[in-house]
Amino acid sequence: MILSGYEALFFWIFALAAIFAALLTVMARNAVHSALFLISSLVSVAALFVLAGAEFIAGVQILVYVGGVMVLFLFVIMLVNVGAEERGREEIFNNRRQVTASLIFCFLLVAGVLYAVNEGYRGLQKSRPMPEASIGLDSRASGPAGATGTSAITKDTERVGSSLYRYASLPFEIASVLLLVAIIGSVMLARTLKQEASADDVDPEVLREEIARDPELANFEPQSD
Amino acid sequence: MLNSFIPVLAFLFQEVENDRFAQMKHAATHPDLSKFLVIGALLFIIGVAGVLTRRNIIVIFMSIELILNAANLNFVAFSRYLQETGNVNALAGQIFTVFVIVVAAAEAAIGLGIVIALYRNKETIWVDEIDLLKW
Repeated sequence: MILSGYEALFFWIFALAAIFAALLTVMARNAVHSALFLISSLVSVAALFVLAGAEFIAGVQILVYVGGVMVLFLFVIMLVNVGAEERGREEIFNNRRQVTASLIFCFLLVAGVLYAVNEGYRGLQKSRPMPEASIGLDSRASGPAGATGTSAITKDTERVGSSLYRYASLPFEIASVLLLVAIIGSVMLARTLKQEASADDVDPEVLREEIARDPELANFEPQSD
Repeated sequence: MLNSFIPVLAFLFQEVENDRFAQMKHAATHPDLSKFLVIGALLFIIGVAGVLTRRNIIVIFMSIELILNAANLNFVAFSRYLQETGNVNALAGQIFTVFVIVVAAAEAAIGLGIVIALYRNKETIWVDEIDLLKW
């Protein structure tokens, strides 16, 4: 897999954008800014997916992450908003010793991973040499060649879909059950005490204590019939 | 003082002779699999640093999303690489990416539900103040 020409240019643009946005995600003081930087990082990574020939994954990334998960994040940030963080009164990082230790750990991890990637890729090239020019385009494209030599029309989505159902239909169903469990679980977790009381889902003793503290809760006590 | 520069100069001359800089330029203008892996590794490390250093539990969740996204980038890059080597099961990486995205969405929903329940009970989102299991 070798990109060249405009593909290489766009690769570096989006790679730098992804990394800078990720850094700003981690360092932004305001959680809403963090979420917006994370969105730009995810969009840049989606562009890298397109450059790697995975248009379907790029579309799923935009739809699910940017359209779904990040909206969820923004809603929760607004529900639990802590003003002290924005006004600069709260420290956003852990104490200095912990930060130092984790940064040292991260630098070691960077060095190790980069070394492993370089050595491993060199070994991979030695064991199965690839031709200089980008090959294999016949296998992923059948339309006319575009400006960069790759096809304007790829069949990536069709092929991902068919192999998703051919090789991974059981995991696909399990994933749908997982999503169902996640929906039910998050609804259960996020209920208020009033909602729990009206669903008759609270321990009677706890409910009696809570009613002593907040008499309004008694209205939500289920009537025994 | 001057003596210490001599090995450096010798090294640079050797590199020029070996055409190392032309190779580096070629590698920069022709990104290959290893460049994708490096970008993925950097995103992963930034995510790990966020999880380890931030106090806001929501930002920690966002850092976890970054980590999962870095893994997705590696999966997609290897999938493209295997497609070009003509591997029959080359799309496995992209399929796996779909499942990673599904699990990330489920994790975010459950995690944020827990955050809301926690905020309702403890009135805080700073992870160092949530120490019920600590003694």
